[in-house]
Amino acid sequence: MFKKKTLPELIEELRSNENIVNWYEMQPLEAKTTPFDDSVDPRIREALQKRGITELYTHQGTAFRLASKGENIVAVTPTASGKTMCYNLPVLQAIAKDETSRALYLFPTKALAQDQKSELNEIIDEMGIDIKSYTYDGDTSPAIRQIVRKAGHIVITNPDMLHSAILPHHTKWVSLFENLKYIVIDELHTYRGVFGSHVANVIRRLKRICKFYGSNPTFICTSATIANPKELAEQLTGSPMRLIDDNGAPRGRKHFVFYNPPIVNVPLNIRKSATVEVNHLAKDFLKNKIQTIVFARSRVRVEIILSHLQELVKNQIGTKSIRGYRGGYLPKQRREIEKGLRDGEILGVVSTNALELGVDIGQLQVCVMTGYPGSIASTWQQAGRAGRRHGEALILMVASSTPIDQYIVQNPEYFFDRTPESARINPENLIILVDHIRCAAYELPFKNTEEFGPAEVSEILEYLQEERVLHRNGDTFYWANQAFPASEISLRSASQENVVIVDQSNVADVRIIGEMDRFSAMTLLHDEAIYLHEGVQFQVEKLDWDHKKAYVREVDVEYYTDANLAVNLKVLEIDKTRSSGNGAVHQGDVAVTMIPTIFKKIKLTTFENIGSGPIHLPEQELHTRATWLELKDTDPELGTKILEQLLLGIANVIQHIVPVMVMCDRSDVHVTSQIKAAHTGLPTIFIYDHYPGGIGLADDVYKRFDEVKQAAANLIKKCSCKDGCPSCIGNEIEGINGKQKSVQLLSQL
Amino acid sequence: MSSLRDKMNRLRGTGSSATVPPAEETGAVHQTVEPQPEPADTDHLETLSEEWSSMGVKLLHNEAGSFLIRRKSYSALHKHGIHCLGELPAAACGLSAFHEAPVAPEELMYLDLETTGLGVGTGNVPFMVGLAYWIGEELIVEQAVIRHPAEERAMLYYLNSKLGSYRYLVSYNGKSFDWPVMQTRFIMNGYNRKLWEPLHLDFLHPSRSIWKNTLASLRLSHVEEERLGIERIDDVPGSLAPQLYFQFLADGNPEPLRGVYQHNEIDMLSLVCLSIRFGHLLNGAMEGCYQLPMPEESEELIRTGLWLEKMGHGDRAELMFQAALAAERTASSTLNMLAARDKKAGNWQRAVLLWQKAVMQSVQPGSAGMNASVELAMYYEHKLKDYDSALSYVSEALEQALSHPLGRRDAKRRDEIEGLRKRKERLLRKTTGRKLAE
Repeated sequence: MFKKKTLPELIEELRSNENIVNWYEMQPLEAKTTPFDDSVDPRIREALQKRGITELYTHQGTAFRLASKGENIVAVTPTASGKTMCYNLPVLQAIAKDETSRALYLFPTKALAQDQKSELNEIIDEMGIDIKSYTYDGDTSPAIRQIVRKAGHIVITNPDMLHSAILPHHTKWVSLFENLKYIVIDELHTYRGVFGSHVANVIRRLKRICKFYGSNPTFICTSATIANPKELAEQLTGSPMRLIDDNGAPRGRKHFVFYNPPIVNVPLNIRKSATVEVNHLAKDFLKNKIQTIVFARSRVRVEIILSHLQELVKNQIGTKSIRGYRGGYLPKQRREIEKGLRDGEILGVVSTNALELGVDIGQLQVCVMTGYPGSIASTWQQAGRAGRRHGEALILMVASSTPIDQYIVQNPEYFFDRTPESARINPENLIILVDHIRCAAYELPFKNTEEFGPAEVSEILEYLQEERVLHRNGDTFYWANQAFPASEISLRSASQENVVIVDQSNVADVRIIGEMDRFSAMTLLHDEAIYLHEGVQFQVEKLDWDHKKAYVREVDVEYYTDANLAVNLKVLEIDKTRSSGNGAVHQGDVAVTMIPTIFKKIKLTTFENIGSGPIHLPEQELHTRATWLELKDTDPELGTKILEQLLLGIANVIQHIVPVMVMCDRSDVHVTSQIKAAHTGLPTIFIYDHYPGGIGLADDVYKRFDEVKQAAANLIKKCSCKDGCPSCIGNEIEGINGKQKSVQLLSQL
Repeated sequence: MSSLRDKMNRLRGTGSSATVPPAEETGAVHQTVEPQPEPADTDHLETLSEEWSSMGVKLLHNEAGSFLIRRKSYSALHKHGIHCLGELPAAACGLSAFHEAPVAPEELMYLDLETTGLGVGTGNVPFMVGLAYWIGEELIVEQAVIRHPAEERAMLYYLNSKLGSYRYLVSYNGKSFDWPVMQTRFIMNGYNRKLWEPLHLDFLHPSRSIWKNTLASLRLSHVEEERLGIERIDDVPGSLAPQLYFQFLADGNPEPLRGVYQHNEIDMLSLVCLSIRFGHLLNGAMEGCYQLPMPEESEELIRTGLWLEKMGHGDRAELMFQAALAAERTASSTLNMLAARDKKAGNWQRAVLLWQKAVMQSVQPGSAGMNASVELAMYYEHKLKDYDSALSYVSEALEQALSHPLGRRDAKRRDEIEGLRKRKERLLRKTTGRKLAE
């Protein structure tokens, strides 16, 4: 007879597992609390008491005190520390005191906004005060929109709506902008890279409009743990911030365990698949009815793990109690899963990082990650899903064979001792800045002395005047163009001209299912490419490059496609240089030309190459920021061929490390190597931002190059392979002691 | 400056189409020098150079600055298309049906804007505001124009003092375009506290109700041609207005605006005539002294009747219905429209006749005949409890529905067919049940 085991018993069993490479135990913490401030409205206090909240955690108390005084704050709050109280309390208090007060909540996604509304309305109902909170997004019906604009005390929306619907029509929102007391920015850490740079400009526009209507709102931001929350919040809002990081929420004992699957092929250093290991580990917990969340890195991977797990445990528990969760599920379905997890009716959930964000699913007991999530910050966020306020919790990270996973599990100190990554934005990116000045001028005329961020904008205004977008009269620039600029600018895409993806599976119902920036489209949407959208395979029937449209049709095939891109780099300008003996690191502007050459069809199950074809697309040019590493006086005995392979290997390692160091998506920063760079003829590795004008990532690499170099060398040295494998420098180098030579080359810099 | 342009061009990529060609040299260098307005106690008019005065345009100075104004008065005898402007006082009382409040011609302010762009966003600026109002025995058409965006303040100052004394705002789509645009302009210039709140007489809505299927387009220029007998010669299309204005903005030469002035002026007059027409219609002019031509098509007759009924003139509506029924040929869908009205009004007798006619004359399979069959089936089933007749109608409807192929995602028709099947099954049960009982 099957006897259920408890979590502590399972944890004890796990301790003797030989694949565990690191075991880190976090001691329980007691709650630190503070009584409610006397100024808090008794109706709010009573409503909270009904929900069992009689005191505030220290960080909530500090947030209330500072925000009420009108100080801008950024509160760093781990998962499940009651962060919503940090903003809901001051906001509700302000409205209770003066019912004309208004607040604007910004969430990065629609789904999060919906969650927030439900939670907020529960408290409001109990307060017995007539406070109206509404979401305002693409789904809001026209009839409701009118009410939201006129009477909504709390308007919950996302940056995209603010950018394209609210700000350009600010005259319909007079009562909001005249009385705006608080702007809440939740999930601050998600505003980074291109998206964050856009949003910082949207907030400049928002502040301009508030000023016009005579309001001066206070910002309340909350963020997951990142290295620079205060800096990011200040850059994003252009306002001085007070950092609140005295988290007072209690925590039970947590075990954070690194699991490295065993090697199955010693010479090639190939390990057992992380997915298979995760299936087995998760099964043990689920069989014993221990609530478990499994994170996977892609939507497809989620579905694979889900079906395996449902199969493995179908005799012990019903398949209904294990669910998947990812983007592409319908909102209703997601709400149902979230509720099931809170009630305990759902025992297991397999999710993409969609559940990393602040959706309320209660606290689970075990969290299993399939591979390193890609950044320290998001690892902690995922880990935060496990851990109740009392009792034990277990977090298991199962490494995959990628270099970065192997680096992390073999260098646990890197993970546990290092502060998490910094989030970088560059609101001064010229293209982004000019786009938003256009939008801002559409919204209100510009005085030539007016500030819009730290950079001087009068030159841009004059440029737009020449372009006949603005008309100057005296010291003022007026919008004078037929266009509606906000509709031409997407906050989330990497380049201006996007390729629209048109699904023509059904001739009678041709639909647009998405868009992609033109640089990515070259390798992902070429003719015959297999494009994955919400887990469904589509084949590109025709890429109409001139009109930027990709026509796709749903297919069911056993392969995916992988395109080769020939890249050429030209240095335009060198800004900074750091030389050392026989190497140098430079920073500056580059022109990258790209041309896709061929694509391969690769079988899903075996990764065999089962065919290929040419790609006919025009060359594209990208002007951006780069950091490049130049080697002088390399050992002539190496020979060109080997040196080329070594460079390629180092570039491979750097491509893995940089996104982790500078906190960005893998596709935001590219690394490429040249045996003879065009401008010097020297062996060179380029690291460049994949966005016109750059967004500060390559610049950051230059600043922190020593760290990057150190991490790259460590990764190569500590990889357990003999002399190079795909987990480090690639496996194409034979018998030349490639690992050692690579480290040597790195040390030249 | 050119360095920034170079940089923008580089960043946007070589093949980018986003780059706008540079402004012509003359346009960029030349700046319209505006005279600093002298503060004045009251508005005063100043005569401008020949190029403006030849268009009848003067400069108006007020406390907030200056802007251009063109004023023309038309006598009551002026004929625009089939109507005389002097018909307005008589027609106006008919318009009281809109808000169930009396309407005098002196209470009407007509408005039509020419703007720099589309939509009601904050960057769309009305560079020309066309007004028309009735004084004594004359219609005044007034067109305010700004020579550059900074003059807007003075224009709004003028409009704000002007509009407040009128009760009604007459427009064509002004409820969702012209007036919201003006509201935005007022708010952006600091007038948010005391905005005029007029009662709307927006003739786009009744035009749509009546001519939706009869006229190819509901644009004012088309409606006026088809129904008001107005013919425009050498008209500048409204869609070109922004471009012409930007041209003027760039080089300061007012000539391109001549056509825009004229276009807007005709719009104003047509709008007045449209209000006359609707006033007559509500006054019962078709049988009264101002003899409006009766619509020729029964579709328009029925729609006119339905609209009159909605506006509280049921008696006059019946006249239209009768005329439509007398017509030789009426489309099944039109018959259904009247039948639906009769069904609602409880006039079952005529409703059934109309449906039967609709079924009979729909030789080709189409949804109109099918809908009529379904209506008849319902009538026979629920009203008369005649299940056999109901069954035969529903079978006919089903046959029609299935007679043409179904698209894969034709969800609505799929539901319809499913509904018909269920209805048929139910009727089959009822007929066999009854037969058994007998």
